[in-house]
Amino acid sequence: MTLVRGDVAPATDVTTPDPGRAPGSHRSRPGFGRFAGYLLVMPALGILTLFFYVPAAFLFVMSFYHWNLFGGSAFAGLANFDVLFHQPLYFKSLLETAYFVGVMVPVDALMGLALAMLLREGFRRSRAGGLGRALVFLPHVTPVVATSVIWAWVFNPRYGLANYLLHLVGAPQPGWLDSATWALPSVMIYSIWHSVGYYAVFFLAGLAMVPDTVVEAARVDGASSWQTFRRVVAPLLSPTTFMVLILGTVNSMQTFSQVYTLTGGPHGGAGGPAFSTSTDALLIYNTAFIYQHLSLAAAMSLVLFVILITITAIQKRLSRRWVFYGGTER
Amino acid sequence: MRSHWRSALTIVVGVVFVWPLWMDLVIALGKKGDAYQLPPPWLPGWHTSSFLKVLLHTHWLNYVANSVLITGATILLVLLTSILSGYALSQMRFRGREGIFLVTIAVMMLPQQALIIPQFVLMKDLHLLNTFTGLILPFAASSSGVFLFRQAFLQLPDAYRDVARLEGASLGQYLRRVAVPLAKPAMVVTILLTFISSWNMFQWPLIMADTRRVQPIELALSHYMQQFQSSWRELTSATVLALLPVVIVFAFTQRHIVKAVIGGDRGIVE
Repeated sequence: MTLVRGDVAPATDVTTPDPGRAPGSHRSRPGFGRFAGYLLVMPALGILTLFFYVPAAFLFVMSFYHWNLFGGSAFAGLANFDVLFHQPLYFKSLLETAYFVGVMVPVDALMGLALAMLLREGFRRSRAGGLGRALVFLPHVTPVVATSVIWAWVFNPRYGLANYLLHLVGAPQPGWLDSATWALPSVMIYSIWHSVGYYAVFFLAGLAMVPDTVVEAARVDGASSWQTFRRVVAPLLSPTTFMVLILGTVNSMQTFSQVYTLTGGPHGGAGGPAFSTSTDALLIYNTAFIYQHLSLAAAMSLVLFVILITITAIQKRLSRRWVFYGGTER
Repeated sequence: MRSHWRSALTIVVGVVFVWPLWMDLVIALGKKGDAYQLPPPWLPGWHTSSFLKVLLHTHWLNYVANSVLITGATILLVLLTSILSGYALSQMRFRGREGIFLVTIAVMMLPQQALIIPQFVLMKDLHLLNTFTGLILPFAASSSGVFLFRQAFLQLPDAYRDVARLEGASLGQYLRRVAVPLAKPAMVVTILLTFISSWNMFQWPLIMADTRRVQPIELALSHYMQQFQSSWRELTSATVLALLPVVIVFAFTQRHIVKAVIGGDRGIVE
């Protein structure tokens, strides 16, 4: 399989501007003066700074204070973290988040890849692939609360579609959202429905960059289809796989809306029966707005912030070692 | 032969994915009690009574109007801020330009869930809770919008600008007549991305708005769902109001949307 290396076009990089062009050299226009550039970037930069960077900096301050919305906040040192790390519910929420992420990321990646391989063939030869891609992607752009409503009906233990289908095949029928064991898996099923088409399209783009000639050459050399996949397609797909794993982890760690909607209200309070769906994002919300403890919620947010930044950094570092970027070292 | 089987399987998979959305319509337009039947009906009955009730006799239209206002205003403002910033960052020379570009783009990497608590305190201090401004202004600038317009303006030939300068056109005229019309693809993508994220917004209004006057439909649906979960027909009829604009826009622009969503997020990681 050594023929693969060298003659493969590098993955197109959508972020790099055309290197042949020097950046523009527009000098200031009449009426705008020397500061025209600053003036034009100001609205976007100002809004993003005020509503995103300022809160990010403020998060560090808040976490070390006893924060009171109505004045009289006092420096607390590490007290918030001390309270936090003695909370069994906090550790439970971290475990549930790990469970959620640990299922979502591999399932999204594997199902996304399988869907992409199915859609790719149809995509080339008929209109079915294009239609299939649209139908699989559609759930990803639907509003979460609106579609959670219908999934709450699907998961209803008495008259829902899920248990009806299980009944038809004679399988045991769980209580889904009403059950402490099944509430979080129910949210996972919904979340996979909502997100897998998104990851499938990433893999479709990745597969499109695997040249046919390379696959044909492997076949001619007598490789089985599994060998072709394992030794030729998978390595060429690794930048895509890597990207899907990063995005999957970062996205699923922050899942909030469907957890809140599906396991709130009549399902035993937001957080599921026996706190079985109190994932990190949900516990942060509950701590701040139900238990009214903003500083503790800020401390939890800071931990989440650090975890997510660290994951991104580690994955970026690892990627250099095992991701194959089409022949060129990056 | 094989390709026929594959096409058939593709369609089956596609149908499985849209099935829940179809069932939403079936229950919304079904008879009373259809939601409780096993097996459930597979075709809508075109009983429009609960749908009309939602449209005419409740507050749902008010929430839809709020969503339309929030989404429309956000799209207009995002276009404005992205065009100005994208133009300056690609066509003008000033100190710190590359730094400003990086700062603008890096917002995409901030984990949103970790910021919601300090954002709430900020919004409260700015007296923006329960206002339309508080639901629009924080999203009136977009990293990906700036990025897309900067990319588009980088492709503009210098000659166009020089001609405009010789003709004595002002910067505003040049942008309006020449630069922006030529950046139409960036505009389409920015509009679609902003439409989806703004129309689907839920957690932000959940935290920042608790009066009916400003709530978007997603938030209203969540409250309604938690209080009256058993009135499925009315509930699903209301979800149709939230879903329909997205599904219709998607049906006509799905190629652009798929590319836009993937392209934007790929930019973050690379």
